[in-house]
Amino acid sequence: MRFLCVDCDEQMKLYETRGPDRGSVSLVYACPVCGRKVAMLTNPHETQVVSSLGVTIGGAGSADETAQAASRCPFTGMLKEMEGAADAEQPSAEPAASARPARAGVYWTREAQDRLGNIPPTIRDMARSGIEKFAVDHGYDRVDVEVLERARGFFGL
Amino acid sequence: MKTYRDIDGDGGSDILGQVVAQRGRIAANLSGVKRLVGVGSGKGGVGKSTLTTLLALELTRRGRECAILDADLNGPSQAQLAGVPSAPPVPGELGLLMPRGRGGFGVVSLGSLLPPREAFSLPSVAEGDSYVWRATREFTLLGELLAGVEWGRLDVLLIDLPPGAERAVQYAEALGPQLRFVLATIPSDLARGVVARSVDALKRTPNPLLGYVENMSGYYCHGCNAVRPLFASAPGREHRDPIGLERLGSLPFDPVLAEQCDRGLAGSPGGPVGLAVAEIAEKLLARLDESAPAGAVAAGAEEVR
Repeated sequence: MRFLCVDCDEQMKLYETRGPDRGSVSLVYACPVCGRKVAMLTNPHETQVVSSLGVTIGGAGSADETAQAASRCPFTGMLKEMEGAADAEQPSAEPAASARPARAGVYWTREAQDRLGNIPPTIRDMARSGIEKFAVDHGYDRVDVEVLERARGFFGL
Repeated sequence: MKTYRDIDGDGGSDILGQVVAQRGRIAANLSGVKRLVGVGSGKGGVGKSTLTTLLALELTRRGRECAILDADLNGPSQAQLAGVPSAPPVPGELGLLMPRGRGGFGVVSLGSLLPPREAFSLPSVAEGDSYVWRATREFTLLGELLAGVEWGRLDVLLIDLPPGAERAVQYAEALGPQLRFVLATIPSDLARGVVARSVDALKRTPNPLLGYVENMSGYYCHGCNAVRPLFASAPGREHRDPIGLERLGSLPFDPVLAEQCDRGLAGSPGGPVGLAVAEIAEKLLARLDESAPAGAVAAGAEEVR
């Protein structure tokens, strides 16, 4: 979808995004010549269709840029809203702390988080829950690469 | 006034670029995979999944590195057929680690990730209208799996497709011409007619059709060690509705094999089924060698506008 400022005959650029709010997001486009703005307001069906494509409105770039885009992208926010904040976290964009708390009281190291970020997003939460259960069952209070390797051996992968 | 095609880009989101990037990730991740073979059928219940598993077993027995992607997200059966133990997804260094079945080949199936008897659900803000977006979301997940699993080096990646003539075409378009097809049918005119429609639809794509397999071509009686007719038609007879594709072979129904499937297959079956699978695999490998060299999946992203 593209937006054209009819008066200036110029393509309008994404200016800002707002939402999500009950399945709707607002995308504001501005004309780079005259500054006129228009807003596209999606209904839940449109929001769902776009998020189903697995793309980021607002653009994607480097890891940091992706993180910034994700933080301002309403459709990513919508996914967070749908799946719970933990599901849509971006492990590669975490602060450079050595570990961070997770739901089950199990900490993930940055390296383990990075590995988690490499698997398909849709099943990432399954992996997080499963690995945390494995960690708790085996007496670990944090997930690091060694724990992941132990899980790999335990499950015969 | 400018029109759509007078304008480059989409004003900042670069959706097309993101789609191209995703296809690039898929291509890069499949760079070690020599062949993509989709096992499909317009008709459901004709044994696509069992055929896929049997082919993987036979190809593995022949020393080929092989894996299965269960693309039937809503009716995943490959985990059970291949005897993949239930385990959570475990992230490896580069992506999701691939579970292996009892036969030694890799299997990626939601069946090993979801609790038994639990349907695969996807979150939505448009509740009650999943027909609008569900297929799109499923293809996105398929792309995530292709881009996010540690496939390693494979001679053949078999993709067990969901039924439907239109679905096969969607997979052809999503995965590009590198995806070759084997179709499954049973010897009834009803099923053959539906599969013939699949062939017609797929022949409009650039994707090579390797042939079809006639499943349940007879009933293997262990008591008398003979294959009896299961359908009125004899295996390979001239049907009223020809499929228009080379038959790679015929597989009789073996009740012992059916029981083994419930527990997970560990090796190639013996008897008439084993012989038939070997013949089919032989022809399949020959067809694969005849077709163009395999490469990474590279769909025509530039056509997405």
